[in-house]
Amino acid sequence: MIHFDHLTYTYPDSSQPALADVTLHIAEGEFVLVAGPSGAGKSTLLRCLNGLVPHFTGGTLSGSVAVAGHDPVAEGPQVLSRLVGFVFQDPEAQFVLDRVEDEIAFALENGAIPPTEMRVRIEEVLNLLDLAPLRDRPLETLSGGEKQRVAIAAALAFRPRILVLDEPTSQLDPQSAEDVLRALVRLNCDRGLTIVLVEHRLERILPHADHLIYLPPPPIGGDSRGVLSGLPRHVLHQMNLTPPLVTLGKELGWKPLPFTVKEGHRFAAKSQILNPKPQVSEKQSVIRYSLFVIRNLHFAYDQEDILRGINLEVAPGELVALMGRNGSGKTTLLKCIVGLLRPQQGEITLESESLIKQETASICQSVGYLPQEPDDLLFADTVAEELVVTLRNHGLLDSPPIAPADLLARLGLSSLAASYPRDLSVGQRQRVALGAVTVTRPRLLLLDEPTRGLDYFAKRELVRLLREWQAEGVGVLLVTHDVELVAQAADRVVLLSQGEVFADGSPEMLTASPLFAPQVARLFPGTGWLTVEDALAGLNVEVEDAN
Amino acid sequence: MIDARVWLLWALTTLVAASSTRNPLYAVLLLLVTTVVGIVCAPDQGRQVPLSPLRFAAMAVPLAALFNGLTAHLGHTVLFRLPDWLPLLGGLVTLEALVFGATNGLMLTVIFGGFAVFNQVTPVRDLVKLTPRAFHETGVVLSIALTFIPQTVRSLNRIREAQAVRGHRVRGLRDWLPIVVPLLVSGLERSMGLAEAMVARGYGAVSGRAQPLRTQGLLVVGLLALLGGWLAFLFLPSWKGSAVGMMIVGAVIIVGVVWLAGRAVSHTAYRRHRWTARDTLAVLGCGLTLAVILLPLPLMDRGTLYYSPYPRLTLPIFDPLIGLGLLGLLVPAVITTGGRDER
Repeated sequence: MIHFDHLTYTYPDSSQPALADVTLHIAEGEFVLVAGPSGAGKSTLLRCLNGLVPHFTGGTLSGSVAVAGHDPVAEGPQVLSRLVGFVFQDPEAQFVLDRVEDEIAFALENGAIPPTEMRVRIEEVLNLLDLAPLRDRPLETLSGGEKQRVAIAAALAFRPRILVLDEPTSQLDPQSAEDVLRALVRLNCDRGLTIVLVEHRLERILPHADHLIYLPPPPIGGDSRGVLSGLPRHVLHQMNLTPPLVTLGKELGWKPLPFTVKEGHRFAAKSQILNPKPQVSEKQSVIRYSLFVIRNLHFAYDQEDILRGINLEVAPGELVALMGRNGSGKTTLLKCIVGLLRPQQGEITLESESLIKQETASICQSVGYLPQEPDDLLFADTVAEELVVTLRNHGLLDSPPIAPADLLARLGLSSLAASYPRDLSVGQRQRVALGAVTVTRPRLLLLDEPTRGLDYFAKRELVRLLREWQAEGVGVLLVTHDVELVAQAADRVVLLSQGEVFADGSPEMLTASPLFAPQVARLFPGTGWLTVEDALAGLNVEVEDAN
Repeated sequence: MIDARVWLLWALTTLVAASSTRNPLYAVLLLLVTTVVGIVCAPDQGRQVPLSPLRFAAMAVPLAALFNGLTAHLGHTVLFRLPDWLPLLGGLVTLEALVFGATNGLMLTVIFGGFAVFNQVTPVRDLVKLTPRAFHETGVVLSIALTFIPQTVRSLNRIREAQAVRGHRVRGLRDWLPIVVPLLVSGLERSMGLAEAMVARGYGAVSGRAQPLRTQGLLVVGLLALLGGWLAFLFLPSWKGSAVGMMIVGAVIIVGVVWLAGRAVSHTAYRRHRWTARDTLAVLGCGLTLAVILLPLPLMDRGTLYYSPYPRLTLPIFDPLIGLGLLGLLVPAVITTGGRDER
């Protein structure tokens, strides 16, 4: 169905090829997962499938691609659009019209498809993606998952044989991501549609994937690098960073590697648990909360209560994860803390000093806030300048609490100090934004969904940085849907629902929740283990004894 | 659903009505009518207008009153006097001038309200379809611009917040740089992303037949005829008849060329609106209002339309028949309510 033959592609103004000597084959009807770190060329590979590369991007290309007997390089993306449906990361960025049905019809109208035929096709995709009840809805009233399903429906309107998706779930909460994924699996299983999809959270896709393509990180010396392609279990053995369940399976020599908790249970049942993690007692969890306190916080917007009597405390050096479904009030709470929203009732104090009446700019000298879109912070010409701008805003340029060069070194950005921030990878841009909000040495750090769109390596780097800050006594309040991140990094978890705290306790509390439990916790229930390290520490004794 | 063309006619009728009277009583009536139509016809989920007519009125009426009061030194009811040495502002400030200005502000609000309703009730798809086929690409650009506006407003708010948490304060013009740069860059990135998405969805794959040179030549001839006729009409009084003929020929050629060019555009429509009795009723309503405003109908005191507070402020007169005619603009609200009851 799809053949890459020694394909090498270099973007204009770049000396390094984005794809080097790629040769691979994809059979019809396969569900293909494309993985690899940021900057490895995953999106470029997808864009070769419909000719966006090189037609839209320019650059030089050698080798060949064939898609169902067509040559995307010769025929171009407009012709290939009948064969390859393409869905981008941000659904909103690809909408032309404002209502569901109109958006799906747009491409068909421009393709001069007769109205009767058009009606049949639109009904077909609306039903396929469960969008029929939403057909007249304005797009801006839909949830993220619903918008992404509309984008998929629009891409399927031409009845393509291949559906290509570039990180379609990276902007979505777990529930919405699950809805989108379910729709894709149905399209693949019931319709035989070939699906090629890029995703960082492999654990979501692996159970459904027939084929895994791994693009390794770009080489430093410019040597050609091999693309790994084949059955997921074969390829995963050669990859460094994998989902927790796979990592555990690799460490313990489980064969075949489990992709789902159900598959993992077969092996877990045979493992003898010798070293269960002691449960954190209530007494232990009640520690000196003195850094940051929220008392009885209420916030309403348009007569709707968003926050209802929130109580929350963060100790120095403590990382508190704030979790909950979309719309539960997590981001609103962070905005109330930094003064972007003014609560109607309640008290917020940092080291006993009230933040309620203070200006945002003054609060943010001691509270670092990283919003969901780090790009919104970046506007300077260089990475180093971004840090200087914050210092200047706060009047701290002459006596910076931390030298910008030292902070850049800590963030691993020293070599990029003179680079234009927006040219960097997602993970690097996020670290620049972190630098821009922490150069004042805040005592409290607020992070809103910091792992969205990050690969495993960038996530690991973020955890390392947070641990360093915690060691210095900085309190961290982290809003996230990423249960694996919480399992790795959090000291305490607060669950929010409809503007109220409904649970507050140690991360082990998550093991009881089917919605929030990490893979390892679901694999070894009752042990209190959350991470691969916990499990290995608990099972290692048995391995050593056996030896 | 009322046809987008009918809504356009409704908005234009509101514009004509507001421009044809200076009577504040009719202005208030028109404002009430547009507000009611907006409330009844604009669905809750419709496109939001960046500024509500009420907020517009709160700005436009006092500003217009102040501007006219300070610059038009006419009228008998003197409130106070500004020193004569003040350029433009120096002189008498009268109640009449303030009232005249406030009425102008009220009229502007009516026009704004009319088009705000039109914007809210017409889906972007229908706006594209209002453009002639020959200008389909322009229609698509218009639709993209309309969907870009709310996205840009959301981006602007997000960026302002993001910069505020870095200690940024907007005090002067230069302080907008950290907000404008990310806004522009994200706008450009979004444009590129959208262009890429449109190409990937086959936009432009079915291009219309290229316009033959003959058609382009005809368009030039039509434009020249229209322009030449107009100039002759203005400057050659003895050639007036021929000039009008030339203008008509030029206009016919242009319309013909646009029609021909439209036929060459390969494009189909998913949903064509079927003309219903409601559309006819709404058109008749607009027709009634236009007739009352523009035609010298018997039994009506058209003089009440041209109310002026000068030279001394008097109470405006309200002709109930003209008021009734203006209620023709209320028809969309009435038929929409009727439609809801049917369901």
